Amino acid sequence: MPNQITYSGMWWLLIAQCMVMLPFAMHLPIWLIPVMLFSAGWRLRILKVGVTPPSVLFKTLLLALGLGVLLLSGLVFPSLDAMAALLLLGFAFKALEAAKRRDALIIVFIGFFLVALYFLYNQTIFAALYSLASLLILVGALIGNQQHVSEFNTAEQVRFNLRVALQILLQSLPLMLVIFLLMPRLPPLWSLPMTMGQARTGISDRMAPGEIGNLSQSSELAFRVSFKNKRPTQQTLYWRGLVLNHFDGREWRQFDEDLPMPYMRSRLEASALQDDQMTIQGEPIEYEAIYEPSGKPWLFTLSPVAHFEGTALSISDYRVMASDPLQAPLLLKATSYPDALREVRIKRSTLYSALQLPKNNERSRALAQRWRKEVGSDKAYLEKVLHHYREAQFFYTLNPPRLNSTNTIDEFLFDSRHGFCEHYAGSFVFLMRAAGIPARIVVGYQGGEWNERGNYLLVHQYDAHAWAEIWLPEKGWVQIDPTAAVAPERVEKGAREALASEQGFLSTQQFVDKHLPWLNGMALRWDAMQYQWQRWVLNYDDSMRLQILQRLMGEVSLQKIAFWLMGGVSAIFMISLLSLGIWRKPKREALEHRIYQHFCALLAKRGIQREAGQVPSAFAQQAAQQLPHHAEAIYTFNRLYEAICYQPPQHRTEQLKALKQQWANLRTQL
Amino acid sequence: MALLSAKRSLLPEEWLKKRLPWARSTTLDRKRIFIIPSKTALALMVMVLILFILGVNFQNTLVYAVCAWLVAMILINILHTYQNLAGLTITAVQLEPCFAGEKAVLQLSLACPNKQQKLAVQLEWRDEDAVQVNVLSQSPQTVFISHSAQQRGYFTPPRLRVSTRYPTGLAIAWSLVAFDVKGLVYPKPLAHSYSGLTKPSGEVSEDGRDIAQGTSDFAGIRSYRDGDALSQLHWKKYAQTGQLHSKTFVDPTSDERWVDWDNTPFSDTEQRLSYLCTRVLELHQLDYSYGLRLPQITISPDKGEAHKLHCLRALALYGLSDA
Repeated sequence: MPNQITYSGMWWLLIAQCMVMLPFAMHLPIWLIPVMLFSAGWRLRILKVGVTPPSVLFKTLLLALGLGVLLLSGLVFPSLDAMAALLLLGFAFKALEAAKRRDALIIVFIGFFLVALYFLYNQTIFAALYSLASLLILVGALIGNQQHVSEFNTAEQVRFNLRVALQILLQSLPLMLVIFLLMPRLPPLWSLPMTMGQARTGISDRMAPGEIGNLSQSSELAFRVSFKNKRPTQQTLYWRGLVLNHFDGREWRQFDEDLPMPYMRSRLEASALQDDQMTIQGEPIEYEAIYEPSGKPWLFTLSPVAHFEGTALSISDYRVMASDPLQAPLLLKATSYPDALREVRIKRSTLYSALQLPKNNERSRALAQRWRKEVGSDKAYLEKVLHHYREAQFFYTLNPPRLNSTNTIDEFLFDSRHGFCEHYAGSFVFLMRAAGIPARIVVGYQGGEWNERGNYLLVHQYDAHAWAEIWLPEKGWVQIDPTAAVAPERVEKGAREALASEQGFLSTQQFVDKHLPWLNGMALRWDAMQYQWQRWVLNYDDSMRLQILQRLMGEVSLQKIAFWLMGGVSAIFMISLLSLGIWRKPKREALEHRIYQHFCALLAKRGIQREAGQVPSAFAQQAAQQLPHHAEAIYTFNRLYEAICYQPPQHRTEQLKALKQQWANLRTQL
Repeated sequence: MALLSAKRSLLPEEWLKKRLPWARSTTLDRKRIFIIPSKTALALMVMVLILFILGVNFQNTLVYAVCAWLVAMILINILHTYQNLAGLTITAVQLEPCFAGEKAVLQLSLACPNKQQKLAVQLEWRDEDAVQVNVLSQSPQTVFISHSAQQRGYFTPPRLRVSTRYPTGLAIAWSLVAFDVKGLVYPKPLAHSYSGLTKPSGEVSEDGRDIAQGTSDFAGIRSYRDGDALSQLHWKKYAQTGQLHSKTFVDPTSDERWVDWDNTPFSDTEQRLSYLCTRVLELHQLDYSYGLRLPQITISPDKGEAHKLHCLRALALYGLSDA
């Protein structure tokens, strides 16, 4: 039965299925894998042992069970995750009833689809290489289901199919590049939420003592940045993410109430529309950042952002945020003017929220009011506070004693005096507000690791930082980092070096830094490669496509694209044709047939035409009747010819010799 | 290479004749192979389109790349499918004689150029018979395929569809090969006998043994005479002397019987021939010596396989112009 899947074809399908499904296990419900293995095992049993296939009722029940579990697994409908899970489920169950070659095709096609779908989850080099391998196996499965050479053993069969699949894929590569370059890039038609309930590390929208300290234990990558022109100095790299205004005595938050994400977003967007109070001055910094998926919408930029490109929103305080929590890497191109003046004329509401304070922490409030009275001016008061951090016995540490009361500022300033950046920023802003100076917390990252090989900056989670902004008349918002007053090395050399002596800080990383520095070099080189890949993948949009096309063919027009497409396709076809040896001369016909053709041609000249389908003996008879003098020779010739054609070739050489002789004889006669 | 969207039945015979003349042996080449993407390829294109929309919505470069690769693969695959037929030589070896209403078996010999193996090649007469073969080496591969023959006389099979979807099934390459062969179709034997003949019990050929020319026992060598069977030719002798010689054989004969046109229970020509055919087969099976009498044709009594075929041939071609 040529339309049935063969045993080896089934194996191909199963291996392809496993290969395609495996990477999804990291993103989607893990129970899909056993479902798949179960279906596959069953199918193989049916093929091998001849067990009857599962009944329709059983299959329906199984499918219902699968769908039920899918619904219960907490996926949001409709979303990409739900679609992927549904496809995977169908993909797994298809193995149960795959019997016909058509089923095999459906499985392979869904496989192609899933390979592409995986890129929505993961776009790294690894994912790309893995997907290439999956494509190869899928094409192999496609071939394995078209043919079965019983002369080959299993290993030969596999090798043969893989070789053909590889050949096809490699030959498609040039054509693929042409199509890829000429294919238009369209804007999104509609959007489907991704929703992946995966916990990720990253800065959250609230700050309590110890939280950023926890984040600093992670060496995960937060984002990478390349600068268009000069690289700014390390001390100026303050990556602003969130501005926290509301304080309840322990925790800093953006707003006085907890808002669901869409409300928060629209509120932040609305207030952005009102700030137009930026006076641009100084040199711009242009840069391109790629943010790793953080599961949160916050993006980190140098302040203030004057303009940007990318799928993001402009929000209050000259910041930028993503419209949805980041589930995939996001690319942003931005221009910032660090020296610009922000909100010299401030709104009353902004001022009000920058002065809000809870009723607690009375000792700190009293201290602030006393100092402010003593020094007489805001500027002198600022100096005094910073001086206090610098001169009093304050310690910058990752492992400060826990602060438990609601009066955390009092506890820190008067008792523990050991703190991380959030302690300094928090107490500083409190002291400012208590003295009547508008102030707020800014959370983000500071500094980063420079990759010489790729000329870009790597910002890790351990670079997370909190600092402050105060508002001064004439100057607007001014950035102040109280941590720098306590531990200048944090800002100058970065967290990794400043905290190197801390117990338990990135212990693996510290070990590598100390004993295996060459490993760091390799890691950076590998990271540079990944970054290049990611930049290319994320950056490739219509404008880049047109740029490449323009470089290739000058002015871009529809005719030119058509011309290039035709030219490219036909050139590639020609090359492939040549490489496949299609134009090799076909082998000539066997000698006896050629001689017979000459014979027919010669008789045709004499007016004796051989009809289509006329058997040689009948033709010989006809010729002999018309040429009675040569009848004997014609019959002999014909007999020799038929003997060669119709008898087992035991005396072939002798027979051929005889035929040639007789032909020569006949030709002289005629 | 001809890219055509037309189906096989839509290709006019006149046009086909120029490209694929009736010949004993046909090598498939550019002019003789037709290719179209299969329905499978169309289905894949639809899937690529959905994928493309997905890529647009998520602005995903790598999804675009997969789309481009799949489209490129569909196109490149056309060449591979073409390549899987190109250079294939199909030779009709012989069409075995059969009785009307039975299947005539065509013996084909398939060969491919060196290192260009052809896999999963389908040979098909629609609604008749289909065979799938792999041609792996240069040495020809023999394939049998059958076609029903309804009428006695000469039977020329219709064009054979030679097609392949290898390697991926995304394209179909096919050719319609016409074989310059004729096969004999003997009259259809009657379902049951009318003669009531039974196998005689042992008395045959013991008395008055008449030695006639036969095919079973070797008798000697004599110089070639017109009408000698090819199988009788003595090739070794020919190679030595340059002259044709035949081997002669003898058969024991028994009493003679006649299968006579005028002595049948039927008056219709075809029914008569069927009856005569049945008689010949019966007499042959009983190992009698028999002769055949048809209007204008008389075959003197004899026995053996060659004689039977001779008689059947006369019956098959009775009244046909190219007999």
